[in-house]
Amino acid sequence: MPAAIRKTIPHVVLLLYVAVILIPFAIVVFSSLKESNAEVASHPLGFPKELFFDNYVKAWKQAKINVYFFNSLYISLSAAAAGVLLASATAFALTRMKFLRTSKWIYQFVLIGMLIPGNVLFISQYILIQKMGILNTHMALLLPYTAGAIPFSILLISAFMRSVPAELEEAAIVDGLSSQGLFFRIILPLTVPALVTVFIINYLGNWNEYLLSNFFISTDSLKTLPTGMVGFRDAYQTNYPLICTGIVFSVLPVVVLYAFLQKKIIEGLTAGSVKG
Amino acid sequence: MKNTLKNPVVYWAFVLPSLALYFLFFIYTLLTSIGYGFTDWNALEPAHYTGFANFKQAFDDSDFWVAVKNNMFFLLFSVVLQVPLIVFFSLLISGVKRLQGLYKTTVFMPSILSTSIIGILWGFLYHPTDGLFNKVLGLFGIEPVSWLGDTKWAMFSILVTNAWQWMGFYIVLILAAILSLPKEINEAAAIDGATGYQRATRITVPLIMPIISVVIMLSIAGAMRVVDIVLVMTNGGPAGATEVMASYMVNQGTRYGEYGYAMALSILIFAIALVLTAVYQFTIAKRQEGIEY
Repeated sequence: MPAAIRKTIPHVVLLLYVAVILIPFAIVVFSSLKESNAEVASHPLGFPKELFFDNYVKAWKQAKINVYFFNSLYISLSAAAAGVLLASATAFALTRMKFLRTSKWIYQFVLIGMLIPGNVLFISQYILIQKMGILNTHMALLLPYTAGAIPFSILLISAFMRSVPAELEEAAIVDGLSSQGLFFRIILPLTVPALVTVFIINYLGNWNEYLLSNFFISTDSLKTLPTGMVGFRDAYQTNYPLICTGIVFSVLPVVVLYAFLQKKIIEGLTAGSVKG
Repeated sequence: MKNTLKNPVVYWAFVLPSLALYFLFFIYTLLTSIGYGFTDWNALEPAHYTGFANFKQAFDDSDFWVAVKNNMFFLLFSVVLQVPLIVFFSLLISGVKRLQGLYKTTVFMPSILSTSIIGILWGFLYHPTDGLFNKVLGLFGIEPVSWLGDTKWAMFSILVTNAWQWMGFYIVLILAAILSLPKEINEAAAIDGATGYQRATRITVPLIMPIISVVIMLSIAGAMRVVDIVLVMTNGGPAGATEVMASYMVNQGTRYGEYGYAMALSILIFAIALVLTAVYQFTIAKRQEGIEY
């Protein structure tokens, strides 16, 4: 086989895969610019006859995608940040401070959480949130999202913190840093790569979460993007161009963000998991 | 000086907030599940202790067993079909120089999107009359299929959507492992005359077995907790054909108010997940320890 052909075959296969990924997106974008169901139905893969931007105006006004979007953004960011901060403080105390026996026990206790699949506790969490009187507020998502990330975050950050050489902190202590100063000024900056990984994983998890947000939030203006979009689909089930516009609105910001951050995201995710 | 790191006030200030949240949302809820799992609680009347009645009910509940079976479909589909494909595509991408960035970026893209929006998007492609798939089938004169509405096809349709969403994520994980392998081994094999196929199957795949094992573990865990995509695409229908354990449990609790029963189901799901993980750890994962390079 000539080298040129041998080199082309992998690309043909891979470009097919890329097409399988991209065609659904293309169809949705094209459909969102079409005037009617009839036009969508007659040529699903065809480019719109004439670009019909009215759907975008209509969807933006009717769908409240902007409201859902900012709810999602605010909840995912705060819960991911709170999770990383809490977990890193705990990981610091467990791995660098001198209460070794207590730390070992606490660490083992937290590891139990890794064994429990997320959805198993859904019903009891629902009851708990109800008892706490925060059902149908953003707290109903912020607390479980933050808590849910704790076992994994402590595990990963602890592993990273153990690798920081002791000489560094000894020198800092000689220079007069307190233990909390040591955490904020030495250890935290040193563990930024691990913190970024954990933050991204938690953030994506929160951004995409559907089960809790569907059952814990019922007020429309408090809903997150995944739940809000499902409601939108159910309301406009028979208007394909409008549903597609809704999908574009909810996908576009993430895809744009991803285009800028993809290197960091992919590296962050792989850095944490490969050397396992 | 040594005492700086033995400061109980700071220690507990750093540990207690996480521990409190963890206790509340993991341990306390786990204990409530176990406690209420043995009662007939329906949130309206006080709970009565009913012993193992809920568990007996679950064993006789054919709908629940359909859900268990569907979870097993998910598991088999992802481990038997997806994992080999994931390894295949990772090897292909690692082997090319041009466009590698494009492949890596594009295949990962679906994993950053929300499952529910992917469910809506694919629901549109699966539309019985106007969706892409039936349009294409129509070109060949094949009758339209009601992908999500037909008990024969609904589960398969969801599995395909799920694969579309997650394969790229795992490809990127495995790709990172392949790219971090020492190059010398492969080069030496190439000089000795090994073909690309031989190098992939005899050298690369054995060396990345630990990360493949991680991907299998993650796939099993993913198959056990799948629920969003089912709720969004079919809500368990048609006639329970796509119900998975978690969606069945959620529906028993939220729709019918059978909280005691739902909590018993959640204990069963937890138990099944533990058994599967243990079986995997003690059989397959154990054999793969000790690979060094």
